[in-house]
Amino acid sequence: MSWRVPLAELRISEEDVAAVLGCLGPGRLEAGAAVAALERALAGTLGVRHAVAVASGTAALHLACLAIGLGPGDEAIVPGLTFVATANAVRYAGATAVPCEVIAAREPNVDPDDVARRITPRTRAVIAVHLFGYPADLAALAEICAERGIALIEDCAQALGARFGGRSVGAVGDVGCLSFFSKKQLAIGEGGLVATDDERIAARVRALHALPGPGAAWDPARLGHDLAMDEPRAALALSRLGRLAGELEGRRRLARAYRRRLAGTPGIEIPFTEAAVADSGHFAFPLLLADRTQRDRFRAALAAEGVQTTCYPALHRLAAWPAPRPSLPRVEEAADRHVCLPMMADMEPASLDLVVDAALRAAPPR
Amino acid sequence: MDEIPLWQDRLQREDLDAVAAALRSGWLTMGPRVADCEAAVAEGLGRSHAVLVSSPTAALHLALAGMGLGPGDEVVVSALAPPAVAAAARDAGARAVVADIRGEGDLGIDPDAVAAAIGRRTRAVIVSHPAGYPAEVEAVAALCAERGLPLVEDACEAPLATTAGGRRCGAVGAAAALGFAPGSVLAAGRAGLLATDDAALADRARLLRSHGMTSGSWSRHTGQTAGYDVVALGFNHRPDEPRAALVTSRWRRLEAEVGERRELTWAYRAALEPLAPALRPAFAEAAVGRSSCAAMVVLLGDARRRDEVRRSLLAVGRVRTGTLPAAPADGAPRARQALRAALALPLLPALGAAGVERVVGALAAALPAARAR
Repeated sequence: MSWRVPLAELRISEEDVAAVLGCLGPGRLEAGAAVAALERALAGTLGVRHAVAVASGTAALHLACLAIGLGPGDEAIVPGLTFVATANAVRYAGATAVPCEVIAAREPNVDPDDVARRITPRTRAVIAVHLFGYPADLAALAEICAERGIALIEDCAQALGARFGGRSVGAVGDVGCLSFFSKKQLAIGEGGLVATDDERIAARVRALHALPGPGAAWDPARLGHDLAMDEPRAALALSRLGRLAGELEGRRRLARAYRRRLAGTPGIEIPFTEAAVADSGHFAFPLLLADRTQRDRFRAALAAEGVQTTCYPALHRLAAWPAPRPSLPRVEEAADRHVCLPMMADMEPASLDLVVDAALRAAPPR
Repeated sequence: MDEIPLWQDRLQREDLDAVAAALRSGWLTMGPRVADCEAAVAEGLGRSHAVLVSSPTAALHLALAGMGLGPGDEVVVSALAPPAVAAAARDAGARAVVADIRGEGDLGIDPDAVAAAIGRRTRAVIVSHPAGYPAEVEAVAALCAERGLPLVEDACEAPLATTAGGRRCGAVGAAAALGFAPGSVLAAGRAGLLATDDAALADRARLLRSHGMTSGSWSRHTGQTAGYDVVALGFNHRPDEPRAALVTSRWRRLEAEVGERRELTWAYRAALEPLAPALRPAFAEAAVGRSSCAAMVVLLGDARRRDEVRRSLLAVGRVRTGTLPAAPADGAPRARQALRAALALPLLPALGAAGVERVVGALAAALPAARAR
């Protein structure tokens, strides 16, 4: 089947195509000028001193965990409601991911108080996730981490364009991780970026992110990972970067339109505050239904009208989550109740009407 | 005088068109083009399943992880294995145990050394086809069958190469990795591929390729699935549609391009003959026709002069050279010797007879003793 309104839609311009072909024509596949230019441009956009382009958002998180020295025996605290890669990156480094509570279903970002409660002598990092693009409380988290000498990693995989306290997310913690997956604000297929002001972290990420190329000698004790970005993807990202600010504004407009038209609908709550809209990167537009049953019915009703939606399972309820499984009631409530509507930079007015009308019809009867 | 690079990727109009079409489709994450690519490569290799991934290392990693290797396990690899092999073993949590190479005329792993390296903890053997030249993989396959060990072929540099027994490299082991990284015979940016006849291994690799998720974006986009669970500790080893389109397009031309590489290799060998024994090709003449000729590797009779020769080639002849992409290993004297003596000469399609002449001329000048002989 094909959706009348898919979850995300990507517009690749002829300039984007030309930029990629400009690399492929002369056979420039290996990371070079475009990768360096992308790193410089995004470091500027984010306001950080160092940026390293990598293979994916997951790769960025993995390399950030390695670069801050996370290893076997260590723990890293992660929100219980996030994409699984946040926790997996910790596990790739040999450490244990400790899921914690979110603030509430209406504010489904990591709860700093619960983070503080879960810190043990083994805790070496906290990963703040800016869920759906809405910034987590970085001020509180930075304070907790600074007090205890713990690293703060920002998982900005959904949050390029979001701001906290006047700064770009990704530039507040010790290291920020971006994703350019195909539904993201700066989608290129697969790609990511590590951003940091810390020279040592940047140097470690750079040393670890690629394997030695053809003809180079290497030292097995310092062998890195095969997680570099290639030149065509960097060229695509660079080309799209020029339109990013406008596209973020388009996402923000759509979020405001959804809020305006769905506000006060019985049976539907809109998480995050109106004030938070301005500072969000708007990866997704979440709604809350009363419970899981209502949510699943709502999704089915929208699907029947051709509107694609999605939702995120709680980490500790995934089949593959290692024992012990904690009890995280607020995470579970948020996971059960939320649903994300289609979000994109330039949704047609007719599509917006279609989604809103479908949502209003699907709202549970009082 | 322009510098001659060690390698240079060269694409054709049809490759660019294929990538442009993928971009214009607006669907970039794994979808129909990845499936088409996997079908084309599986058929070309004569294998039942192909899983396109984000790098050569990812392909090797998924082979090992898919076979269930983990901490405490050992995998036997060549002492001249490239970094991707060591990285894949490490990422699977396993320890790489090196076996020496055969040596004269063959930088591939020595089956007798493999037999000696297999121990109580060995769970797999990886055979690399170095520089695109087929290793003695059939002998290792027989040994693995005897010991009940899975064989993984690192055919990253050897697409369309053929073993001494006439089998396609990448179609002998229980699983095989192909590499499409920049500088490879089939370069497509960062990408690799896992090939196997084992449906369960292919399924496992597909699962682990995308975070252990039970469904992907394409399946949800096309309405086949509505949600997902995560049922294994997986990874993001996903390729994307533009890279898949590029691999498929180049795969169709691969036979002809490998043919060009062989022609260049023969031209080199003929031109290099007068320089023997100060310098000789690392692989036997008879293997060239069965090789994908990923690199033109020569060995210096006097390994101590190698770095000086390289410097002279670059400074005087403006010729860039390489060394073997391996690490020195203890207990592998033949590999150590080859590593010290090896020199990779430029092998790029645009080189032509004139380019070969220029490189060999520069070599002769850098080896005055050899020329006088």
